[in-house]
Amino acid sequence: MSDSFVLRADERGYNRILSTGATAAYVGGHPDAFITRFSSFNFGEYQEGRHGFGRIRVFGDEAFHHPGCSYSMHPHHNFIICAFVLEGKLTHINTLGGLEDLGPGDYYAFCAGSGGLHEELNRYAEPMRAIYLWLLPDHLLLPPSYTRGHFDAAAGLNRMTPLLGDDAGAVPISQDVRVKRLVSDAPGTFRYRPRTSGHGVYAFVIDGVVRCDGSTLKRRDSKAVWGADEIVCETGRGDTDVLFVETVM
Amino acid sequence: MTDDALKRWICLGCGFSYDEALGLPEHGLPPGTRWRDIPQDWICPDCGTPKSRFEMVEIPYAAGQPALPAAA
Repeated sequence: MSDSFVLRADERGYNRILSTGATAAYVGGHPDAFITRFSSFNFGEYQEGRHGFGRIRVFGDEAFHHPGCSYSMHPHHNFIICAFVLEGKLTHINTLGGLEDLGPGDYYAFCAGSGGLHEELNRYAEPMRAIYLWLLPDHLLLPPSYTRGHFDAAAGLNRMTPLLGDDAGAVPISQDVRVKRLVSDAPGTFRYRPRTSGHGVYAFVIDGVVRCDGSTLKRRDSKAVWGADEIVCETGRGDTDVLFVETVM
Repeated sequence: MTDDALKRWICLGCGFSYDEALGLPEHGLPPGTRWRDIPQDWICPDCGTPKSRFEMVEIPYAAGQPALPAAA
């Protein structure tokens, strides 16, 4: 028996985190910089929503405003932290030796494992927008790792493209989770078959309109479905961009 | 896992993991200290997240973990 919930764009948690005042040690870029965060699940100051979905604990739709805007260097353990850059440039610094810029289409998976530090920075005037996804790992205290990938929207047009997980071409991660992205410019029907009936899917509309499992979802709406053999998604004539996170339940 | 088994908790702010079996001796929590016996105003030693925002997890350790300190 399948089950589901819809989370509309404006039903998510919202936080605006300043680089001044109480959060000055958390967010860099004093004095003008600030981060806006829409959270699909409880995180930080937003604790009024859902705890998570499957192995997902964080799904944040974030924007870093003003040059120097950053999450100052901070520690992580265990979580598999993924970022999908949508607009602008994210400078990512981590204790695995990484210091690099990621642009639109770029993403990374940072398995914090037994521990690491990282900083997320927007050095530029243009806002940096990214989706942050945190997953529980399948083992505690794994060796930390950082792997980068790139989603080519043109090459993946009208195809469900694997980004993370055990599908060919995807960045592997230590969890029974798969992330795929669908960018479409034409009407189409896409049948998502979860690995088993014990896997659920969280579909997040980055842009456009999609009919997913009978619900019409608009920009930044999302729907979770579990216990289903197949989830039918229909795109229309306009541009559509959807992120699918499949997770063991 | 039985109710009596020693459990593991993960900080939802940074992922720091607390294992009842190991405690945190350097922070005054001897091995075997139960989660329920840690004061409610305790915070994550790495990021300051409140105790209430930890989740009990049943996740096995990676090979070779937890790494025990070398004998003196």
